[in-house]
Amino acid sequence: MKPIRLSVNGRDIEVEVEPRQHLADFVREELLLTGTHLGCEHGVCGACTVLIDGAPARACIAFPVALDGAAITTVEGLADDPVAARLREAFMAEHGLQCGFCTPGMLIMARDIVLRRPGADDAAIRHELAGNLCRCTGYIGIIRAVRAVAAERAKAGEAAVVTRSGAVAPPLHISPLTLPVAPARLPDGQDARPGRSEDKPAAGAGFVPEPLRNPVELVQDFEVPASRAQVWALFQDPAQVIACLPGARLTAPSDGRRVNAEMLVKLGPIQAAFGGTGVIAADPANWTGTIEGGGVDRRSATRVQARLVYGLDELPGAAATRVRVEVAYVLQGPLAQMSRGALARDLAARLTAAFATNLTALLRGETAPAQPAPLDAGSLLFSLVKDWLRRLFRRA
Amino acid sequence: MVAQGQDGERSGGAKAHKGVGASVRRKEDARLLAGRGRFIGDMRFPGQLEAAFLRSSLAHARIKAVHIPAHLEGRAFVHADMAGVKDILAKTGLPGFRVSAQPSLASGKVRFVGEPVVMVLAENRALAEDLCEEIEVEYEELPANVDMLRAAKDGAALIHEDWAENVFLVSSTEKNFDETLKGAPIQVTREVRTSRQCMAPLEGKGCIALFDRTVEQLTLWTSTQMPHIVRSGLAECLGLDTRKIRVVAPDVGGGFGWKGLLQPEEVCCAWASLRLDRPVKWLEDRREHLIAAANCREHHYVMTAYADTEGRLLGLEAQAHVDAGAYSVYPFSACLEGAQVVSNLPGPYNLPAYRCRTYSVCSNKPPIVPYRGVARTGVCTAMELMIDAVARAAGLEPYEVRQRNLVRPDQMPFTSITGKDFDMGDYPESLRRAFAMIDHQGVRARQQAAEADGRRIGLGYAVYCEQGAHGTSVYHGWGIPMVPGIESCGARLTPDGTLEVRIGSQSHGQSMETTLAQVACEVLGIDPELVNVVHGDTAMTPYSTGTWGSRSAVMAGGAVASACERLAGRIARIGAHLLQAPLEAVTVRDAQVIGPQGSVSFREVAATWYLAPQNLPADIDPDGLDLVAGYRPTVDTGTFSYAAHACVVAVAPETGEVEILDYVIVEDGGVLLNPMVVDGQIYGGTAQGIGTALYEEMIYDGHGQPLASTLADYLLPGAGEMPDVCIAHMETPSPNTRFGQKGIGEGGAIAPPAAIGNAINDALAGLGAEMTVSPMTPRRVRDAVEAARQKASAESRSVGGFAS
Amino acid sequence: MKAARFDYLRPVDCAGAIAALEDASARPMAGGQSLGPMLNLRLSRPGCVVDISRLPELRRVEERPDGILYGAGLTHAEFEDGAVADPTPGFLARIAHGIAYRAVRNRGTIGGSLAHADPAADWPTTLAALGARVHLAGPAGTRELPVEAFILGAFETALAPGEIIAGIFVPRRSARARFGYRKSCRKVGEFAEAMCAVLVDPEGDVQRLAIGATEARQLVIAEAGTAINSPEVVDDILRAAGLAADPATFRLRREVVRQAIAALATKSQPEGQPA
Repeated sequence: MKPIRLSVNGRDIEVEVEPRQHLADFVREELLLTGTHLGCEHGVCGACTVLIDGAPARACIAFPVALDGAAITTVEGLADDPVAARLREAFMAEHGLQCGFCTPGMLIMARDIVLRRPGADDAAIRHELAGNLCRCTGYIGIIRAVRAVAAERAKAGEAAVVTRSGAVAPPLHISPLTLPVAPARLPDGQDARPGRSEDKPAAGAGFVPEPLRNPVELVQDFEVPASRAQVWALFQDPAQVIACLPGARLTAPSDGRRVNAEMLVKLGPIQAAFGGTGVIAADPANWTGTIEGGGVDRRSATRVQARLVYGLDELPGAAATRVRVEVAYVLQGPLAQMSRGALARDLAARLTAAFATNLTALLRGETAPAQPAPLDAGSLLFSLVKDWLRRLFRRA
Repeated sequence: MVAQGQDGERSGGAKAHKGVGASVRRKEDARLLAGRGRFIGDMRFPGQLEAAFLRSSLAHARIKAVHIPAHLEGRAFVHADMAGVKDILAKTGLPGFRVSAQPSLASGKVRFVGEPVVMVLAENRALAEDLCEEIEVEYEELPANVDMLRAAKDGAALIHEDWAENVFLVSSTEKNFDETLKGAPIQVTREVRTSRQCMAPLEGKGCIALFDRTVEQLTLWTSTQMPHIVRSGLAECLGLDTRKIRVVAPDVGGGFGWKGLLQPEEVCCAWASLRLDRPVKWLEDRREHLIAAANCREHHYVMTAYADTEGRLLGLEAQAHVDAGAYSVYPFSACLEGAQVVSNLPGPYNLPAYRCRTYSVCSNKPPIVPYRGVARTGVCTAMELMIDAVARAAGLEPYEVRQRNLVRPDQMPFTSITGKDFDMGDYPESLRRAFAMIDHQGVRARQQAAEADGRRIGLGYAVYCEQGAHGTSVYHGWGIPMVPGIESCGARLTPDGTLEVRIGSQSHGQSMETTLAQVACEVLGIDPELVNVVHGDTAMTPYSTGTWGSRSAVMAGGAVASACERLAGRIARIGAHLLQAPLEAVTVRDAQVIGPQGSVSFREVAATWYLAPQNLPADIDPDGLDLVAGYRPTVDTGTFSYAAHACVVAVAPETGEVEILDYVIVEDGGVLLNPMVVDGQIYGGTAQGIGTALYEEMIYDGHGQPLASTLADYLLPGAGEMPDVCIAHMETPSPNTRFGQKGIGEGGAIAPPAAIGNAINDALAGLGAEMTVSPMTPRRVRDAVEAARQKASAESRSVGGFAS
Repeated sequence: MKAARFDYLRPVDCAGAIAALEDASARPMAGGQSLGPMLNLRLSRPGCVVDISRLPELRRVEERPDGILYGAGLTHAEFEDGAVADPTPGFLARIAHGIAYRAVRNRGTIGGSLAHADPAADWPTTLAALGARVHLAGPAGTRELPVEAFILGAFETALAPGEIIAGIFVPRRSARARFGYRKSCRKVGEFAEAMCAVLVDPEGDVQRLAIGATEARQLVIAEAGTAINSPEVVDDILRAAGLAADPATFRLRREVVRQAIAALATKSQPEGQPA
C-alpha cells in the first residue's frame, strides 16, 4: 500500500492505495462514486472517462498510485457544472442515451469537446467522439446534442478553452460519498500466496503425450562438426538438449526418458513461464528420435504442446553430421487468443534456429549455454502477439 | 370535498399532450445523466465475495484432473461440489431435437473455450483472479468442431457423446416446389455466409446472490432482460420452490439478447450464496464476454432462386446451416434461430414455391443466443443479396425486381408461404419512398461519371418485415421452457393520487419507464411525471416472459392500458359517489373524475379510499385501487412492422475502404407510442447492423481459439462509422393491438448488412466482383477485387491473349 | 481482469529511474496508455513499475538553432494543442490530432509511443519521415540514434536494459515544407493497415518518405525524390522490401503511398481538424 493525496470532486483526501488498483475501481469501490462505469478495462470503450487535472482520461488504465497530487473529477463532480448541465439538457432533448451505461463517459467527453471546440461541426464531433463507444443510440442523438451545445457556445462568442491542466469547479454540495470508506480488500500480507499443496501428483508421473491436432510444423536442417555418434550421445542427454533451448531449464533431474522442464519467454512487456513434461524416445537403429511434450503457463493457463523429431545423417568423412529437426506445436489459451495466427511460424523458426546454433556451439566444445537467457523482444511468443499488440496499442 | 374547475397541474392531469404519440422526454434520463443509475456493478453488500471463473482454455477436451491447492478449500468449487444442482436444460418439443445438458460448471469435459470450470471466490475480483492462477486443470484434448459444415458431417468428434451427430435439429419445409422450376429462365445460385459475433452491450452481465432471511428467499440481483424466466430456470436448477426465489434486475446497461437467458454463472453464484451464507457477486468483464460469449449470427446458406425474365420469383431453394454452439440455452433453445431461418427466409416477398432445410449444428463454440433481429439479420442478408443477383442476371434494376415481388397492400392481410400472417401495410410504398429519398435517379446518374478520387459508387436496397410480440400460437408448438401468453400489469393508485404501474418485462434502454407512463397518461390523463413504472423485480411485478422479440410496446403497452382502464372504472365509482352523480354520468379524464356538475381529482379519490374510508358508501366495491389486469392482442401471431433501407456507398477498390455516403430508412411501426424513442431504437439497431455489415467478427483458429480478447480486436462501430441516417415513418396502425402499435425494437439491426452489401456489390459490379460474406471488411473487398481481376485476366488470356 | 500485483517507484531524476530499471523485472511507465491494458490483462507482470512521467528532463522543450529537442514525456495532446513549439509548419500538431482518441492523447507520450515501436502507430512513421533523432539515457551514459535506427522491428527497439528514451530531436523545416500523410484504418482511431508519411522541403532539398504499418520496422527512404515523382519506383521499393507478396495487400500499400504523395499538393488536414 502506498500513501497518496488526491483531490476528488473538490475534496482533498489522503489514502493508501494498492499500486495495482486502477482509478475507476478506486473511485467506485473506495469512494462509492459509481457513476464511472467500466466497459472494457483495456482503455478502448471510454465508459470510464473522467477528468484528471481537467482533461479527459481513461480511469481504467490510470493508477491512483501514479496520480499523487492530481485533481480528479468524476461525473458526480460535474453536478453543478454549467456546461455539463447544458449538455444534460441537450442529451435529454435529443435522446442521446438509452441504457445510460456509456453516458457518464460520453458526457465528460462531450463537455471537453464543446469547451475546446465551440462551433464544432458534425465531422469534428464524430472524430472527437470516436473513442467513446455506445451500443444503444447509434450516436445520432449524442452528436446532435453535442452539436447544439457547441453551436450555442460559438454563437455566444465563447472562446475555445484549453482543458489540459485546467481547474474544474467542485459541485456546490460535495457528496458525502466522496469520503473514503473502509477498503473491502484484505490487508497486505494476509493473502500472501502459500506454496502449492502436496496433493498434486508429481509432475509428469503419468504423462502420456497427446496427438497434435492441426499443429504448426516446420523443418530445419543444419550441419554440426561432430561425428554422428557424438551428436547422438548428446541427444540422449536431456540436460544438454534442454540447455540448447533459449530460456529453458530442467526442473528435475531426468531419468533419460522423461524430462520435467521450464521455459521462460519474455516478449516486450509480456512474460510467460511454461512448465511441463516431455517424453523422449530414441530409435538408435535409424538414428532418429522424438521428444514430445506439453506444458502450461500456469498464470495464464496457456497450454503448449510440441513434438521434436530429429534425425542424424553422417556426412562424408564422418567428421560432420547433418541434423534434421522437425518441430510441430500447438498453442492454446489466453496467449493464443489474440493473434491472427500466421505469425507463430516465424517465432518457432527463430527458436529452432537458436537451438541449432547452441547445439553447434556445444558440439564444437564451446561453452554450453549454461543458463541461456530467454529470447527477449523480437523472439518466441513475441511474434505471435505482435499483430494483436498492434491492434491494442497503436495509440501509444 | 368536491374540487371544481381545478387546473391540470393541481389535479395531476397532463397539460400538454403527453400520451401515445408524443415525443415526451425520458423519465430515465435524469438519474443516468447524473451518474446515479444503479447497475449491478454499483451494488454491494457487507461480507460480499466476488467470483472469478477459471474457464476452459480448450475448445473440446476431457477434464482429466483439477488441481486445487488445499488452502483454497471453501473458496474454489468444481462441478462435483455442486451436488444436487441440475444441469440447465432447454428442451424443445420439436421432433428430432437433441437435448444437451449444460452444467453450470464443466462436468467431465469442456465444450468451448471460455466454459466455466472452477468458481473461485475472494474478497474482491483481483484476489479471486490471483487465486485462479494457483489452480491447474489437466485436459485431454479432443478434436474441436470449428467449422459447422464439417461438424455436421459423419466422423466429426461428437460434442455430446450420446448423440448420433453434432446436430441439434434439422428443420425443413417444402411448398409448391416441383422439378418444373428447373426449367426457369433465370436460375441464380449463391453461397452466403455471415460471421460469428458478440452482442457486446457496454455493460457486461453480472449478478449478486444473497439469501434474504427475512422472507426466506434467495434473492438474485442480475443484469437480465427476463427476471421471471431466470427465476423459473433457477428454481429448476437449484431444486427450490419458485416462491423461494426473488430475481431483481437493477438498471441494465444494454442487453440485445445477451441478457435474455439463464446463465450458468447465475446458477453458480446462487448456489454459492446458499452454501456459504454470504452474498456472492460476479461481473462479466470484457475479456470474458469476448472469449466466452461470441454467440450469434453465424449462418451459412446455399441458395438457388428461380425467376422469369421479368425478374418475378418462381421459387426458392435453400440449404442453411446455423452454428448453434455447444449447448441449448435456456429458455430459447438451440433451434430458435434455425427454425426462424426456415420460416423467415422468404421475407416480405410473395414467393410461389419454396423449399428449405436448415441444420442447427452443435459446435465447440459458445452456445447461440438470439441477438437483436435474431435469424432475420442473416436471412435478410441472404435473401436480399439473392434479389440483387437475380436482378443482375435478368438485366433489371434491383429496385424494380423488388417491386415486382413484394406482397402488395391489396393482398393484406396476407398469409406468407411459410404461414406468417402479415397484418397490414404497404411494402411497395415503403420502397418507393426510399427510392425517392435516396435520390435513386441522381445516384444512377452520378455512377455514369467516374469519381475524381477513383472510388466507385454503389446503391443498395433491402426490405424486410419484422414479426414482433409473438404470442402463444407462435410459441406453444416449440415446447420450449417459455411460452408467452397473456401479459399482465399491476396498477395502483397511491394515497396521494399518483400512479404505480408494475410490469414483468424489463427496460434496459427501451425507455419503458417513459413510454408506459405515456400509455397510462393516454388512458387516465395523468401526467407521466406522476406515474412510476416499476419493472424488473419478480417480487413486485406480475409474471412476464420479459423483454425480447420486440414485444414490450405491444404487450406491456397493452397490459398497462388494460390495467389503467380497469382502474379507471374503480376510480369512477368512487368519484361518482363523491360527486353524487350516477356512474354513467361521470368520465375519467385528465386525472380527474368529471361529472355533470363538477369534478374530483385522483388525489381526492385516493385520499378518500385510503385515508377517509368513512366517506365511502357502505356498498362500495371492496377491491379498491390496486389491481392486476391482463392483455393479449386480438390476433396473437405477432405484429409485422417493416421497412425499406436504402444506402449509397463509396468503395475504394485498391484499399477496400467503404464509406457510407447516404442511408435512408422508411419504416412502418404502426402507431408510435413515442416517436423520439422509436427513432432512437432504429438508429441504434442500424448502428449494430452496420457493425454486422462491415466491422464485427469473432475469428476462431483451427483449434476453436477465439482470436479477439479486447475491443481493439473486435471492432464495434463508433461515432465515426455511423452515417447520418434519415428516417421516415408510415404509421399504418396494426388492427390487432391496443393502440395500433407494432414491435420495432429489432428492425434497425436486420437490414443494414443486406443494404450495404448490395450497395458494395453494385459499386464493384463494373469490376466483376461480388461479395457474399459478411462483414465486408477492407481485406475481403480487396480480395474480391483481386480475385475478379485475376479471373478477368485469365479469361482475356484464354480468349486471345490481348491485354485490355 | 484486474492487474496482478506490482510495486511502484517514482524516482525523482533520470539517474534514479535508470538505477531502478536495472532490476530486470521493472518496467518504465510514462502515460501508461500501452502498459495499462497489458497490466489489466495480466500479460505484463512487472515486479515494479517505475514511473518516469514526472522526470523534469522528460518534460523539457529545448529550442536549438537546427531544431527542437522534446522531452519524451510530452503528451500527444500537448503537441496537438500547439502547447509546445513546433519546428515544422504545423506537422506535429496535425499528426498528434489523428492519434487514437483525445482521452488517450491527454496521457500518452511521444516517448512511450516510440518505445513501444508499434509499426502501425503514428509517431514512429512520422518522426522517421521528419528525420528525427532519439536521445537515450542509460547505465552506460547517453547516446542518440535516428528513429529508423532506433526501431529495429515490430515492437523491437535498440533500448538496452535500464535505458530510457530521454528526448526526441525534431529538425527544423522551412515554411515551404510540405508533409503528406495517409493511413488506412478500419475505423477512426484504430490501428492502421497501411500508412505512409512524406516530407518535402525545397529549402535544403529534403525529400523523405516513410512507409509504416508493415510487419516490421518502418521503411525509410531518405532520398525519395525519384519515388515521389514516379509511382513505379514506389512499386519497386515495395517489391524489394518484400511487401508485395500478397497482391491485394500490395495494392493497398501502393495506393496509400500514392495518396500520401498526392496529399503533399493538397495540404489536406486530417479528418475533424479545424482548417
